[in-house]
Amino acid sequence: MLPDVLIENLGYLLRGAVMTVGLASATIVPSAVVGMVLALAKIFSGITLRTLVEVYLYVVRGVPLLVLLFFMYFALPYTGIDLPPLFGGVLVMSLYFGAFMAEIFRAAILSLPRAQWDAARSLGMRRWLIFRIVIYPQVFRLAAPPFVNTCVLLVKSTSLVSIIGLWELTLAGREVAERTFAPLQIFGGVALIYFALCYALSRYGLYLEERMRFAH
Amino acid sequence: MPTESATHGLPMVELRHVSMSFGRHRVLNDVSLTVSRGEMVAIIGPSGSGKTTLLRCINFLEEYDGGEVLVGGQSVGFRFESGRRIRRTEREIAATRSNVGMVFQSYNLFPHMTVLRNITAAPIRVKGVPPEEADAHARTLLNRVGLLEKADALPARLSGGQQQRVAIARALAMRPKLMLFDEVTSALDPELVGEVLAVMKSLADDGMTMVVVTHEMQFAREIANRVIFMDEGAIVEEGDPKRLFSAPATDRLRAFLKRYRESYLLS
Repeated sequence: MLPDVLIENLGYLLRGAVMTVGLASATIVPSAVVGMVLALAKIFSGITLRTLVEVYLYVVRGVPLLVLLFFMYFALPYTGIDLPPLFGGVLVMSLYFGAFMAEIFRAAILSLPRAQWDAARSLGMRRWLIFRIVIYPQVFRLAAPPFVNTCVLLVKSTSLVSIIGLWELTLAGREVAERTFAPLQIFGGVALIYFALCYALSRYGLYLEERMRFAH
Repeated sequence: MPTESATHGLPMVELRHVSMSFGRHRVLNDVSLTVSRGEMVAIIGPSGSGKTTLLRCINFLEEYDGGEVLVGGQSVGFRFESGRRIRRTEREIAATRSNVGMVFQSYNLFPHMTVLRNITAAPIRVKGVPPEEADAHARTLLNRVGLLEKADALPARLSGGQQQRVAIARALAMRPKLMLFDEVTSALDPELVGEVLAVMKSLADDGMTMVVVTHEMQFAREIANRVIFMDEGAIVEEGDPKRLFSAPATDRLRAFLKRYRESYLLS
């Protein structure tokens, strides 16, 4: 069913895929943390911090991820900051996707009825406690679908770090395609692996959404 | 009963010339009011008359612009130093609120927590009550509102009347000195109103100090020690419920009661 050239090199590509999954996993957690912190800062902080956060969000959303990666990899060393590509790549992606997560979390926090805050405050709870036990658990349920959606984008975007020399699925594919002169079969296979990863993630998102639902 | 309050000294709630505006709209206009310990005061009036805002000033869910609100003799939200008004810290405001229970029109239970957790969360997290003790107290309260068997249910599984009774139990779990009720039966189907009012009546019978914003005139007339009629952000008339309802002294209250009776007859 699959072309022989793809089957022969499948092991190599799958090792690349493992690296892709590793990169994505290493990015998802810090970007979620960055996102939550930015969302809270944007909602609750004073004007100065809020403005800084907004500037950050605009900059990150307005510049392509590839340009940010180039900046980290080619430009930062001139300023004396020389990050190892793996660390730098994960850092840049975390900051980049953190900005998108921030909007997701912010929307979820604001979509909760204000009355939930009123009820908790009337019980003598203070802000941080309210956030932890009343708001956050509900926000997580509300944010799960768009969160997973962003994770799918994130998985695909890890292919960009191949350009700064990080070895993962896309770079593995390029190596094999150049060696075998069979780009059609090999990149077809690479695309199929990405699709399988993202499809599984999307299904998992649907499952979460289903499981965490409660009638309101 | 009002006669007892004298022996207790300070009134439970005192509003001194409280005023508040939302933008250019004046919601409370120089409102003064005293509620004695053990008293059940009902506040009636047309919608937009400032009843709910007044209630929310008592536990500082609204930050009033002028005047002073005192609960148990202590000023709420602000303290006053040589004529200057200083906002209290979050901690102080929360401490005041933990002595004042509030029940809302839309129940506002926490949807992701079971009924029991809804009730025990604040005693455990805010007052540091040991979980077993909080659990036991919560079950006593659930039993009192007739919902012991719903302890492990999520709020969404309950009817509106049941949710509202849980909300009352949740507020009582903090052992408040004062309970505020904000149109707590307005969102309920008519056949569910009675069960919530019954719980409130039993609280009043137990001597709980209560301030109740309500559209249930019958309830106000029968249970309240005193009724306050508000209109356009001010207290227009107040007094003994029987007298107030049978012989209103002002045209505005007369008009309000007439409108109420007409809509009541129509429905």
